[in-house]
Amino acid sequence: MNVIDLRKTIKKNSKRILIALSAVIVLAMVWEIFGAPNAIIQPINYNHKLHIEKAKLTCVDCHLFVETMAAATIPNIEVCSDCHSGEPLSKSPEEVKLLKYIESGKRIPWKKIYSVPAHVYFSHRRHVTIGEIKCIQCHGNVQELTEPASHPLWLATMKNCIKCHKENKVTYDCLACHH
Amino acid sequence: MPKWAMAIDLDKCTGCGDCMAACKLENNVAIVDAEQAADDRVMLWMDMMTIYEGEYPNIKLKRIPKPCFHCDNPPCIKVCPVHATYKNEEGLVAQIYNRCIGCRYCMAACPYTAKVFNWYEPEWADEFKTCMNPDVSLRMKGVVEKCSFCAHRLQKVKENARADDREISDGEYSPACADSCPAEAIFFGDLENKESKVFKLSNSPRAFRELEDLGTIPKVFYLSEKE
Repeated sequence: MNVIDLRKTIKKNSKRILIALSAVIVLAMVWEIFGAPNAIIQPINYNHKLHIEKAKLTCVDCHLFVETMAAATIPNIEVCSDCHSGEPLSKSPEEVKLLKYIESGKRIPWKKIYSVPAHVYFSHRRHVTIGEIKCIQCHGNVQELTEPASHPLWLATMKNCIKCHKENKVTYDCLACHH
Repeated sequence: MPKWAMAIDLDKCTGCGDCMAACKLENNVAIVDAEQAADDRVMLWMDMMTIYEGEYPNIKLKRIPKPCFHCDNPPCIKVCPVHATYKNEEGLVAQIYNRCIGCRYCMAACPYTAKVFNWYEPEWADEFKTCMNPDVSLRMKGVVEKCSFCAHRLQKVKENARADDREISDGEYSPACADSCPAEAIFFGDLENKESKVFKLSNSPRAFRELEDLGTIPKVFYLSEKE
């Protein structure tokens, strides 16, 4: 097929080509929006259930500042080493990983799965201590998780924030969160 | 509902400019280079009006700190086509940067020229990057910004007060300029609280407001015995 023939076929079938192309674009967009997002894999396969049931820990014991500060904080070696030091407490290979981090003094590179953009002020204290919202409401039933959550259960979008603020009749003044 | 206001005692103010510096640091206000500054594009939330009176050699210099006046009847909010600037229940005139489209109508409407425009993508020297105030977001090129009465501080103060289940005490919420003033010439507080220092100062015979006849009802009071 020479170039002129190719041009002719394209001209003849231009509508079909256009439809096919737009279908591909639409499919790509649908996949981007609704498709499964990339699962987040943490450096250590942490078991929330075990720590809560066996070690009888509560959320605040490790996420130290959830009631008193804006950031709840993700516990790192200095918190873990309160219990885990020297001899392993279990036969889990995950604990061996943790002990290696503690011994070498390297910080565990946890990946954040819940975050807000820089122009948003989000305070855990405001929600947990003042608003008396249970952790479960945004973070789900973490006490049943045997491995780290791979996706955020609740997306911190403005739509979701405002929805809850309206339902609970708390301020949705822009300045309450944006400055 | 409180109504936040400021009083600046011009008889105490020495015009040192500490408030301007404190404001710039507190609010991550961009620093423009000399060339841009020559184009009148200096970014200041707390400006200093400088008035020269008399003729050489008998010149008198007046220095008047000028933040946003957070007017009770703000002309800027009426012209904003996207509601990026509005007055909230506590009388703070807010500027929401992510909503601003940079049309600059509000800058034209403000009789006090309190607003500034980001003509350039703000650039920071490496030494500065670690010194940013994390409570205030960095603005981008093409948006208008202005003094917020350090509204981020109010959120923290409110949180502290509510966590302890008490009211905000007078002087607890104070913007960076008032905190830094070495002459203690800037007062900040609640106009609705009849016991507050600002309420008392606003009723002082020395008190006046800028361009009062415009009907904008500024919430920044100046105090001076001189005219």
